[in-house]
Amino acid sequence: MNAASTASETRTVRPEEPGKARATIGAIALVVVVLAGGFLSNADWGKLPDIFTEGGKYFSLMLKGLVQNPFSEPYSEYWSAALGGMLESISMAWIGTMIGAVLSIPMGFLAARNVSHPVVVQVTRVILNAIRTLPELVFAIILLLPIFGFGPNAGALALGIGAVGTLGKLTAEALEGIDPGPVEAARAAGAPGSAILRWTYWSQVLPEVLAFWLYRFEINIRASAILGIIGAGGIGSVLSQAFRYREWDFIGILLFVIIVVTVLVDAVSGAVRHRIIAGSGVSDTKVEQDAATL
Amino acid sequence: MTVAASPAAPARPRKPRPSRVLILGLVAVAATTAWAGWEIGFTLGPLLENFSNGWVVVEQFLHPNWSYLGNAWTAWLETISIAVVASFFGVAVGLVFAYMASRVTNRSTPLYRATKWFLAVLRSLPDVAYVLIFVALVGVGSLAGILALFIFNIGIAAKLTAETIDAVDQGPLEAADASGAGTFARARWAVQPQILPNFLSYALYIFELNIRSSVVIGYAGGGGIGQLIQVQFARFNFENVSAIVISMFVVVLLIDQLSQHLRRRLV
Amino acid sequence: MIELTGVTVRYPNGVVGLDDVSLTIPDGEFVVVVGLSGAGKSTLIRTINGLVPVTEGSLTVDGVEMAGASQRTMRDVRSGIGMIFQSFNLVKRTSVMNNVMMGQMHAIPAYRSLIGAWTADEKERAFRSLERVGIVEKAWTRASQLSGGQQQRVAIARALAQDPKVMLADEPVASLDPPTAQMVMKDLQRINRELGITTIVNLHFLDLARQFGDRVIGMREGRMVFDGTGAEADDAVFEEIYGRSLTADDVLPGQA
Repeated sequence: MNAASTASETRTVRPEEPGKARATIGAIALVVVVLAGGFLSNADWGKLPDIFTEGGKYFSLMLKGLVQNPFSEPYSEYWSAALGGMLESISMAWIGTMIGAVLSIPMGFLAARNVSHPVVVQVTRVILNAIRTLPELVFAIILLLPIFGFGPNAGALALGIGAVGTLGKLTAEALEGIDPGPVEAARAAGAPGSAILRWTYWSQVLPEVLAFWLYRFEINIRASAILGIIGAGGIGSVLSQAFRYREWDFIGILLFVIIVVTVLVDAVSGAVRHRIIAGSGVSDTKVEQDAATL
Repeated sequence: MTVAASPAAPARPRKPRPSRVLILGLVAVAATTAWAGWEIGFTLGPLLENFSNGWVVVEQFLHPNWSYLGNAWTAWLETISIAVVASFFGVAVGLVFAYMASRVTNRSTPLYRATKWFLAVLRSLPDVAYVLIFVALVGVGSLAGILALFIFNIGIAAKLTAETIDAVDQGPLEAADASGAGTFARARWAVQPQILPNFLSYALYIFELNIRSSVVIGYAGGGGIGQLIQVQFARFNFENVSAIVISMFVVVLLIDQLSQHLRRRLV
Repeated sequence: MIELTGVTVRYPNGVVGLDDVSLTIPDGEFVVVVGLSGAGKSTLIRTINGLVPVTEGSLTVDGVEMAGASQRTMRDVRSGIGMIFQSFNLVKRTSVMNNVMMGQMHAIPAYRSLIGAWTADEKERAFRSLERVGIVEKAWTRASQLSGGQQQRVAIARALAQDPKVMLADEPVASLDPPTAQMVMKDLQRINRELGITTIVNLHFLDLARQFGDRVIGMREGRMVFDGTGAEADDAVFEEIYGRSLTADDVLPGQA
């Protein structure tokens, strides 16, 4: 005796299964859009098999570069160029983050609804959004190369400008999320505006903002490699040179250095971030989620 | 009577010294900044010295060549198409990796660890490195851009989605286990309905990111609007570059608005 | 038949969930397990379907040894045991039908379950399970749109769709209001009587325990301290099980 057999005697009306028309149309539309994309992108799909035919060959060449004695010529040069380039990239990212951090503090206060006048808030937000819309590469192209010339200095400034956009927005949002109690208490005690901003607003958001800065540093390391391809120096410039001459053993070493250093910096920066946040009473996941939009 | 006027004040507790970690941290930050600044030869001098040189260029930027936008729109179509294809396949594959990168859905510890490591390596390379690799493999053009963004998207989609999977309501999973459901069935029916709105929202976010990356992609040889910027920039046609940048501004804003509208309906 | 012989369960953090429990539950019985929270009621139920591993002793379900069984065996045994939870454990963002399907998932090949291609037979079986608890008309509704009592009935239907020999219920009415709790308990009793499914229910309301328990088992600090009929379980017995005098919280509100 089971559920199925006995119940069949008292069979009631079955509700009709709802139509799947909407889901089907949605799925078809998505497929059409993707197919159209595949066609309109002008991609030469016929070359797709090359990944498998050429890929294996190049990959083994890259590995070959890695396993060579790093103190023999020319590999010693490759390794020192890779490490030097990475160091320059990290410096660029660090200075860029510093510039962005310093500039984002006033921008954040100006863009916070519970601090500034509504008109000021709107104007600042438009500026921050405009910065966030454009990639760092565009700043480097438009503003910096004509004035600062090619090189890491221009790259750091471009990263700094880019960082102001995201850091300013996140700082403003953090300021808007503070506990208003201490602000009220400070006002009631007759504290001047500057003291209120420093000791109630800034004290409350400091851990969160520091975590955002570190996050931005991690992102800037990747972004600095991007700027390298237009000649802003760092590992990106070395990498695009190596690709130009198809020096696969060199490329292998470069990619290895990028991966290892980035993973290490992410781990250290992540640990510091968690430590800063752990003592602050702000939810760790909330900070992570906010920072995901960096 | 004021607070300060009380006679015979008892001993005041001494202000605690700042913690050693804090001092070391501040010294380290200052030292790193000084060293990094020296390493890249940081200076703001050119802003004053070269401003007149630069101003010539800036002036060209202030007079965008609007008529050039007629040429730009096919490149835009190409960029959007690249982003659509790369986002679609990237998030689809990323979803599979996300299931493998969460302990909730992946009960094999070695496989979980291996997936986490693989994704960390995948994410550590910037998109431009992938473009360079694929340009070398399949030549300059949109295909290299699509493949580069595809790989790049897998990393982001898998990370964001795996974090969402980690946070799902465990109740349905318990019920699935109690009824003897297999690994695939519990992932598909106890987890996926819970993460679907977030996942779709990530997919739209990744599409936005791909549009923003288009300059980089094209610059490195991956096709689309970036390639146009690179060519015009190399020929010093700054009026044309300026027009493209402004069109980029408009397109990115439009796509952000559209995607935010859709995302608000999802979550 | 379920047989426990000297079963001890120790959690990885050292807490002892069950302490040397020996117990035989014949087929078709309706057993109510009572005790304070933390007394081991939940552990008992979860151990029977292998969600919690046995540390010492032997536990057989229909002759299959669960202590130290492989994942594969464990899943097979679980597929024959329906389970109902205090918080229903439904996937709220999907239809009632898909939730009930979860009960049959052990028998559906992965390639079909991944795309949600249910056969007519599987759907019919889900309908019949829903019919048993009287909410067949909600089959295509989203689970999130149902009331608590309806959600628990869907959970019962999910368990029924497994075509189980044993039904385990962990505080099934603790999140429900008193009249709904009565109805859900009656559903469980009716299913037990009509289909002969062995049913083990954890409860903390003593009046419900007396009313529905053909057999009542009392747990305290991981040990079995009472085993008798509902009629034998008077206030003195409950005070012994709870280790304190009874209060109004121990009966279902509106019943005492």
